[in-house]
Amino acid sequence: MKKHIVATVEEIPAGEKKFISVNGKSICVFNVNGEFYALRNSCPHQGAELCKGSVGGMTVYNGSSSEGFDVSFVKKGEVLRCPWHGWEFDIKTGKSIVDPKRCLVKSYDVTVEESDVEMINAQVETYLVTIKSNYVLVHV
Amino acid sequence: MAKIEEQKAMETGKKLNGIIDCDVHPHPKSYQVIQSYMSEPWKSRFNAQTGLRGMYDNPIHVNRLDSVTPDGGYPCSDPEFTRKQLLDEYGINYAILLPRAFVSRYSNPDFAAAIAAAFNDWLAADWLDNNNDDGRYKGSITVAPQNPQAAAREIERWAGHPHFVQVMMDSGSTAPYGQQQFHPIYEACEKHGLPIAFHPGTEGVGINQSHVAGYPTTYMEWHTCLPLSAQAHLVSFITEGVFEKFPRLKLVMVEGGSAWLPSLLWRLDSEWKPLREEVPWVKKRPSEYIKEHVRLTSQPIESPDDPKHLLMNFEMMDAKNILMFSTDYPHWDFDSPTRSFPKMPEDLKRRIFFENAKELYNLE
Repeated sequence: MKKHIVATVEEIPAGEKKFISVNGKSICVFNVNGEFYALRNSCPHQGAELCKGSVGGMTVYNGSSSEGFDVSFVKKGEVLRCPWHGWEFDIKTGKSIVDPKRCLVKSYDVTVEESDVEMINAQVETYLVTIKSNYVLVHV
Repeated sequence: MAKIEEQKAMETGKKLNGIIDCDVHPHPKSYQVIQSYMSEPWKSRFNAQTGLRGMYDNPIHVNRLDSVTPDGGYPCSDPEFTRKQLLDEYGINYAILLPRAFVSRYSNPDFAAAIAAAFNDWLAADWLDNNNDDGRYKGSITVAPQNPQAAAREIERWAGHPHFVQVMMDSGSTAPYGQQQFHPIYEACEKHGLPIAFHPGTEGVGINQSHVAGYPTTYMEWHTCLPLSAQAHLVSFITEGVFEKFPRLKLVMVEGGSAWLPSLLWRLDSEWKPLREEVPWVKKRPSEYIKEHVRLTSQPIESPDDPKHLLMNFEMMDAKNILMFSTDYPHWDFDSPTRSFPKMPEDLKRRIFFENAKELYNLE
């Protein structure tokens, strides 16, 4: 398992995502309400680029009453729907909603760490610049 | 022709894998394009703002989200991008195009016929006569069942076109399609050697009857029950003696499911033995007519937990001779040519993915 710097924290605002490639694997990093998660960009069903799907919440059933079915809208911004067949996955775990034990997409640990990145500024004269910033690291 | 096309494909570095996709849905770049082919009074009455049904629309997404064209256009509205994302991606030799004009929903038969004609003009201009140098796009002539004589004239207008290979009607209808009033359509199809295809989508929409008692509540209920529509039309074709009257006619049931076929064949044959007296024009066992005249497209192929069960079902329905592969691109329930079927014997796969459609549509 190696840590890979994939973005600065500012680069992926809440509700946004970034596609990256690590060791030839297509992976997507999501910012869900300020927390970062990474999923393999391939749907276990028929191989669509899963992370190109839509992100939203989901409606769940709480029970019935004399007024009818009681439902609520939960996990706002935490549910990824495949761009093909619309299968739902929990971004935080990679597990599908309908069959979490058997149908899931690979998820990767993500950490945010402060680190120094040295860059060469080569525009006119060459200086060594050190940028201290918070980076998003994916563990693959 | 096949050699030339294969040669062309090889020259451009594209491999053909022996696949015919029997259900692809081209879409106009905008409905103004369709309108431009119409004349008054229909032109200004046509609602160019929307092609939606207005009911039974998928609440999640109706098209693959990755099928929007590179310039942000409607999915499957750009022949070049479809060639890249579908045909070249999977090595598909031919795509049978079925535009979704939903014309069977309109109360006015003349209006419905005018819209069908405009869709045919557009399909010919944008997908068949142009942007089709490799000849891999084959079209369906859209007709409106409300006026069968007018539908027959529309078939006459396109018969002989090198890239129109079948006639298509919505399976949402006001009556079972085997009935006499629709026969002028089948007569024209038979005369020109064009199969008639039924495609769901207008069940319970506009003037059409629902395919169940009353109106389904949700899209899921409506969509799950679409095979009932296909089965009802098929039974009607048998009991009304359509294939006895038009012995060279072929019928394609598109996107209506297929796993139900074995039980329907058994039931039809059982019913016929005691009830032949009522339908004396049904001279053979119903299953024999179906095997000879009917083809089913595969998508959405059923996916039982145990893939062996699907293969058993294929054997029972004689999928080797009756089933034709389709993806339904760009719709949400797309069947991937590489991922939707279980592993099959090579000859069975070749029949389903290529030979059955090649023979039906006289492709090379």
